[in-house]
Amino acid sequence: MNPYNLSIEDLEQRANNIRKKIIVLNSQSPAGGHTGADLSQVEILTALYFRILNCSPERLQHSDRDIYIQSKGHAAGGYYCVLAEAGYFPEDWLPTYQHPDSKLPGHPVKQKTPGVELNTGALGHGLPVAVGLAIAAKKNNNPRKIYALTGDGELAEGSNWEAALVAAHYGLDNLVIINDKNRLQLAGYTKDILSTDPLSEKWRAFGMDVCECDGNSMADVVQTIEGLKANKKPNVVIANTTKGAGISFMADRPEWHHRVPKGDEISLALEELSHG
Amino acid sequence: MGNSEHLASVMVERFISAVERGVDVVPVVSDSTSTAKIGPFEDKYPGRLVNVGIAEQVLVGTAAGLALGGKVAVTCNAAPFLVSRANEQVKVDVCYNNTNVKLFGLNAGASYGPLASTHHSIDDISVMRGFGNIEIYAPGSPEQCRQITDYAIEKEGPVYIRLDGKALPELFAEDYVFEPGKIDVLKTGRDILFIAMGSTLHEAVDAANQLEGHGVAAGVLGLSSIRPCDTDKLAEYLSAYCQVFTVEEHNVNGGAGSLVSEVIAENAIASQLTRLGIADGEYAIAADRVSMRHHHQLDAASLVNKALKKLSR
Repeated sequence: MNPYNLSIEDLEQRANNIRKKIIVLNSQSPAGGHTGADLSQVEILTALYFRILNCSPERLQHSDRDIYIQSKGHAAGGYYCVLAEAGYFPEDWLPTYQHPDSKLPGHPVKQKTPGVELNTGALGHGLPVAVGLAIAAKKNNNPRKIYALTGDGELAEGSNWEAALVAAHYGLDNLVIINDKNRLQLAGYTKDILSTDPLSEKWRAFGMDVCECDGNSMADVVQTIEGLKANKKPNVVIANTTKGAGISFMADRPEWHHRVPKGDEISLALEELSHG
Repeated sequence: MGNSEHLASVMVERFISAVERGVDVVPVVSDSTSTAKIGPFEDKYPGRLVNVGIAEQVLVGTAAGLALGGKVAVTCNAAPFLVSRANEQVKVDVCYNNTNVKLFGLNAGASYGPLASTHHSIDDISVMRGFGNIEIYAPGSPEQCRQITDYAIEKEGPVYIRLDGKALPELFAEDYVFEPGKIDVLKTGRDILFIAMGSTLHEAVDAANQLEGHGVAAGVLGLSSIRPCDTDKLAEYLSAYCQVFTVEEHNVNGGAGSLVSEVIAENAIASQLTRLGIADGEYAIAADRVSMRHHHQLDAASLVNKALKKLSR
């Protein structure tokens, strides 16, 4: 059971709060950030942490808690803002993001940050580990679910497809793979660099149950994930998102992969969100 | 000296023993069931093993996930594919995440002989030593393998165990007790010292026995515990010798030879070290073990010749 179990309207309010935190956190980072990727995933993570995941800060040692894996580890800033909002650690840690000796490094580190389940950063690691967790849960008759979020550029890593083969072979219907398909990566548009399309067909060919949703529509994200069925196949949710979602001058702009807001950009972004 | 045993068979026997006593061991293989000689385990515990197919990245990632899910995950596949193909998974999913995974590098060194360099693993110790928190062992005999496997299964955290691919006879006395970090003393002669890792321990003991006929008393140390390693004790042993040889079926860079040279340098020991292994810039030749070891001067006869030359006898 999720301790918040919020309505769609309340989730949207939380998502807005989290976006404000993302702007401020990145503006205070001494080492850049991944503002665009932080923002594209907000509805997905908010829905998981405030409604869907059977997990809470008090239940981090419980073996039946649901597991969330942030395979797109570079979007750590956004992930931290969600964990802070959900009470996994104090909010006053957020201004230390990427500072020396911070508990919030540039990629997630479970030994430093409460709530982080897996150290990630190198891409293509989340799904294989999620597969192992899902097999372990099956073997233990543990009802927990394993959720893993990847980027779409990340899917060029072959380890994801090794994991897909294994997940399908073992019928891991306790595994939910979510692709944050924001269509951008470090060097530009994914379709220009190495297209992953047609993505649904690829996953289906690998033996998955596949759904698509508007990944920046809270109602659609919640309805899609809550509608997943356990029918002997792993679930894939392709969340069609916009990189930099929620801030007009960041949305769908490649340069915001690694940029952080500065000067007037901070107040402009917060002003936009104040109307949200 | 008992009958020869394959170390993989010993490994599997200890997996079975562990499950029998209630340890939740889950072997993970990459189509490597025959490499791992794991049939007896599958027969006894059908459905327990996880086979991910020929896919080493997901082999190691899955093992890390199984460990996070409460299992004692043990990967069993050929060392070259484990160490090289899944290098980042070993680094990130096992070491950096400090997961309770035991990595068995099977048929390590040049065990695969004529199958050539894609199948040789002469860099595994070097690679593993580069990762900060993984314990590293290279048993040299069946009994040592037995005890190291038992230890690894009970030890929480990452462990790499390098297993030779040939049947090996026993080297140690019946009362042998393995301890992490321990340097094994097999012979105590004071004229010259061999320090050998894994299966080359047999060549070193053989050479020391032959040297007795030449009036040379050779000491032999077994370096089966690479990390941890009792380097203080190793320094103490090294200080008693002017001439030291390291012997390993591994590149001379990064393995036993490097470890010993570090101890010599850091303790300002006045010993001359000769590192025997696959020489810098070379690959192991594609040949049966006898021919390969003779070519790279890792066989007992070569060790004898080198020792006599060093001692000018």
